Amino acid sequence: MTDTALLRPPPTGLALRTLLRADATVLLRNRQALLLSIVLPVAILFITGAGGGRRQVLDPGYLIGLSITYGLMAACRFGYPMAVARDRESGVFQRMRVTPVPMWTVSVSRIVVQLVLSLVMSLVVLGLGGLRHHLTFGIGAWLLVLAVSLLGAAVFLAIGQAIVGLTSTSGQVNALSRVLFALLLVVGLIGSSGLLGSTFKTVAGWTPVGGLSNLYSAATGSVGWGSDQVIGLVASLVYAIAFGYVGVRWFRWTVR
Amino acid sequence: MTDQGSAAILDVEGLVVRYGSRTAVDGLSLAVRRGEIFGLLGPNGAGKTSTLSAVEGLLRPAAGAVRVVGRDAADDPLAVRALIGVQLQASSFQAELTLTEILRLYAGLYGLRLPAEELGARLHRAGLDGEAGKRFRQTSGGQQQRFSLLVAMLHDPPLLLLDEPTAGLDPQARRQLWSQIERARGDGGSVLLTTHSMEEAQAVCDRVAIIDQGRLVALGTPAELVAQHKDDPRVLRAAHGEVTLEDVFIGLTGDEIRD
Repeated sequence: MTDTALLRPPPTGLALRTLLRADATVLLRNRQALLLSIVLPVAILFITGAGGGRRQVLDPGYLIGLSITYGLMAACRFGYPMAVARDRESGVFQRMRVTPVPMWTVSVSRIVVQLVLSLVMSLVVLGLGGLRHHLTFGIGAWLLVLAVSLLGAAVFLAIGQAIVGLTSTSGQVNALSRVLFALLLVVGLIGSSGLLGSTFKTVAGWTPVGGLSNLYSAATGSVGWGSDQVIGLVASLVYAIAFGYVGVRWFRWTVR
Repeated sequence: MTDQGSAAILDVEGLVVRYGSRTAVDGLSLAVRRGEIFGLLGPNGAGKTSTLSAVEGLLRPAAGAVRVVGRDAADDPLAVRALIGVQLQASSFQAELTLTEILRLYAGLYGLRLPAEELGARLHRAGLDGEAGKRFRQTSGGQQQRFSLLVAMLHDPPLLLLDEPTAGLDPQARRQLWSQIERARGDGGSVLLTTHSMEEAQAVCDRVAIIDQGRLVALGTPAELVAQHKDDPRVLRAAHGEVTLEDVFIGLTGDEIRD
């Protein structure tokens, strides 16, 4: 038995480093999440950009932004909420709650790992998008895209957190997030493309996907910064804060 | 009924736990002494899990106090959790991590920096050295239970809390786990375990407390409880031949099924 005087809660830095390593390992072994978060956005980028050049209907910056937005949604849809719901159901959190670390470190570690994945995905898609569409981005564009990706990841992580906060089983999380993200994608995609008219395009600009797509379009230099981008920025911040609040307020570490 | 043991590692004094209007633990007092294996017995809903949750600092008692090595679990939960090792019945580990990775994770969560050789030695002692590189989900139920106990003992805590540690295990795995529990006591630790197995309580516990509806109804060594209650008409009605600890348990808590 260890001298009880030596048994103290660990330094927060050590606990966080340990959690980050474990969470990163779990994420890297989750092939489905990695595939959907990185490979599919790249596939979308190439499929939507098929033909290229003059034959292309949609703006390249918009397509790149749309691909990144899809990647963010996939990462935050299949990665974070499903992993949290599964770990809550199987008792992983219950076990961690009886260790001498504050539970906010457990959440922070998972969110950081998810953010890093989102940023890596954004860099990959932007780089490949530039190659695909023969575009060169300056350092400002890269940084702006990363900033928008951080905001986008915050929005979709907050939505994911709200879903796990309001549900109790991984089945419910799966079903609800599937429906919600499909709806968001369709409304944002079709609406912000302008195919259904200007009114619908304006409404879509306030949705998470539409707002982020407008921000990416400006960040990649395809369009200038204007009212659509202000709306996108405001809407994204409101979504991140509102859904984040709901998700934290009603979240339970155990299902019982 | 109270139990004020000397040199107590765990002191529970007049513990009251309420969930809304329902009282789950009603004035429970008990103490676990240094080097003791203490069994907490009771039917479903008797208040065992609520008592363990109060010891773990997961809930604030409505009244009373829980102290581990003198520290109050409600006031200083993180410090108390550093002093206890816990094996929960319904808990698990990340299915995608290997046993070594999980050990490294929990070592970090307890502030330990254990080299790979030390982690290997611990797995060896628990009979899991062949499974070190296996992911948690690839191990058997018995291996998972042994591993869970190993994680609980990782930081050599003075108090181990084991919630039905052998539930669902075959006799061989159960015996192996009993040996691990005995070893923990041999290393100077104390153990508080809950169990529905009277055989287990008799085999490994120095003392047992029987609780029902949140109250302590009997306390002593298994032999003392049988001797004290062998002439109780309720116990005799439950007995089939020689009175056992299970007869005492049924006699004192009733034979109706609890959910």
